[in-house]
Amino acid sequence: MSDHLSKQFDLELENIRTRILQMGGLVERQVLAAVDAFSTGNLEEMQQVIDNDSEVDAYEVGIDEDCTLLIARRQPTARDLRLIMAISRIVTDLERVGDKASKIANMSRKLHLAGGQRIPRLSDVYHSGRLATDMLQGALDSLARLDVDAARHVIGSDKAIDAAFNAILRQLITYMMEDPRTISEALDIIWIAKAIERVGDHAANIAENVVYVVSGTDIRHSAAVRKKADQA
Amino acid sequence: MSPGGRWFAKTLLTGVLPIVSLALLAGLLYGSAWGWAAAALGFLLVVCAQTHRLSVLLAWLDTPGRADSAHYPDAGGAWGEVFLKLSRKLRLDAKNLAAVEASLRSFREAMDAVPDGLVILDGSHRIQWHNRAAEAHLAIHMPRDTGAIIEQLVRTPGFGDYLGSPDATAPFLLQSPAARTRIYALRVVPLGERQKLLVSLDVTDARRVESMRSEFVANVSHELRTPLTVVSGFLEHFADDGAMNADQRQHFARLMSDQTARMLSLVDDLLTLSRLEAEDAPASEEDVDMADLLAQLLAEAKSLSEGRHRIEIACQGPTLRGNRKELHSAFGNLVSNAIRYTPAGGDIVIEWAVRRGAGVFAVRDSGVGIPAEHLPRLTERFYRVDRGRSRDTGGTGLGLAIVKHILLRHQAKLGIESQVGEGSTFRAEFPGWRLKAGA
Repeated sequence: MSDHLSKQFDLELENIRTRILQMGGLVERQVLAAVDAFSTGNLEEMQQVIDNDSEVDAYEVGIDEDCTLLIARRQPTARDLRLIMAISRIVTDLERVGDKASKIANMSRKLHLAGGQRIPRLSDVYHSGRLATDMLQGALDSLARLDVDAARHVIGSDKAIDAAFNAILRQLITYMMEDPRTISEALDIIWIAKAIERVGDHAANIAENVVYVVSGTDIRHSAAVRKKADQA
Repeated sequence: MSPGGRWFAKTLLTGVLPIVSLALLAGLLYGSAWGWAAAALGFLLVVCAQTHRLSVLLAWLDTPGRADSAHYPDAGGAWGEVFLKLSRKLRLDAKNLAAVEASLRSFREAMDAVPDGLVILDGSHRIQWHNRAAEAHLAIHMPRDTGAIIEQLVRTPGFGDYLGSPDATAPFLLQSPAARTRIYALRVVPLGERQKLLVSLDVTDARRVESMRSEFVANVSHELRTPLTVVSGFLEHFADDGAMNADQRQHFARLMSDQTARMLSLVDDLLTLSRLEAEDAPASEEDVDMADLLAQLLAEAKSLSEGRHRIEIACQGPTLRGNRKELHSAFGNLVSNAIRYTPAGGDIVIEWAVRRGAGVFAVRDSGVGIPAEHLPRLTERFYRVDRGRSRDTGGTGLGLAIVKHILLRHQAKLGIESQVGEGSTFRAEFPGWRLKAGA
């Protein structure tokens, strides 16, 4: 009897994991499509991204409810509990990433409709978008395989995106200094670049949660926490 | 009598009968007490012997690698036969097992050699087995991902739904998760009662060819349409405007004939290309006198340039074996390109020489040059570095495609070097065996 119960429980847990990974796949495509639409100016693709955001939200609500139900019904412990806790955090991260994607699409749309493009669509933005989606993919892979090494690798690669963001910022500043008429366009592009950079941060958060699931240690804000402990 | 019965009788005769008869004898001679004692002693010995043999058997069964060796413990008598049979059976099993393993291994190797990805999924979509191609297509790895749920690893939206209710007519198209540069067509086939077989097929090239073909048709129609529009516009003008003076009419007629000439050259080029594609090798080959060919190219170049460029030839190489008409067409295309893309006053050098054993025909110009990112695609049909200007200069967009085809038929390589603003060099390298020694 108990064996049967735990089997059923495993199935439910696996189902939630599958759903959140599928949500991750959707979000990943949203970001990629948004960045692609920004580079190519494809209005249709931008609209598609904006429309699909409600699908991401539906995933979030559904998975959250499933997590609550599972905890209430099965009272998981140890690693199972950590997995459920991590999933309910990751859902929030993924939903934020989805928001960022639709924000990028919205901004690109606005930029495109305003017309009179003065700044070329920097390939750096597309590049950092690819970096961010690669990170997201790595984080989701590490969640699928519960692979701590892969998760740590993802956390480490966040630096590359930060560097890419700074490079974009510097380029845009040169444009703005050369010709003040580019300022409003440059500011919009900065928003987009910032959103991409945030996607990288969320991917790192997801990876940190994977480390927590497997090893039981919470490595979030570990540098800051250690600093505080040293001061005390 | 069955073998088991015979064995039983034999054991009874050799083991039990002597003890019983000995005990009877002892009982008759010394009284019944001695008789019982002898019987008990005899059976005790038998039990000891059997126990010993059982322990030997146990030890032998536990010895690793016993199946391979023909040695089995010699127990003698009835037990010996059992041991012999057991060891024979074990050896036979081991042999069968090895045969099954070998055939399984060769089957797996065959599956790994299949270029399509194959994944076997169980009822809850866990990966049970997959071949090597599937690793590359779906970014899954044995043995790490054995038992993993495939939807967790292949997360492309829509894939989960497709897996749940596969559409028999249309495959699911998946961009490779790893590089996102390749496209795979996935199909799901039911396997047994609950299992599923997932087949992935690399369709990147097929899709590329498809898009190239539709692009080609679109390009040809466009290129033919442009001059036709011009001509039909002038014709309308002629019909409407009766009071056109002779000069104007002459001017329009000249423009129209320019356009028709362009269409003609485009159709000519298309026919040349399709003829080149239809056959693998030139119809006939002869020894081509390169000095003569270069002189001809120079004459044509001068008439095309109308004195706007300085054109030189340098012929230091031997006779070349090949089809003169085709070579003339290829070299002529390179030279006319150089003239068209070099501003007035530029230099053009046409050269034939031997370098490191290969015959090299080169056209060097001091023209506008080509940005590096265009170089790999230059020989594609209708590929334009600068859409606006190339049509002004009268190109059809097929010249370099023709050059590439002709050179391929002569086993030659086309090399392009270019520096923006400084000029380009187009070089055709012919293999050594096409050169005629001592010429």
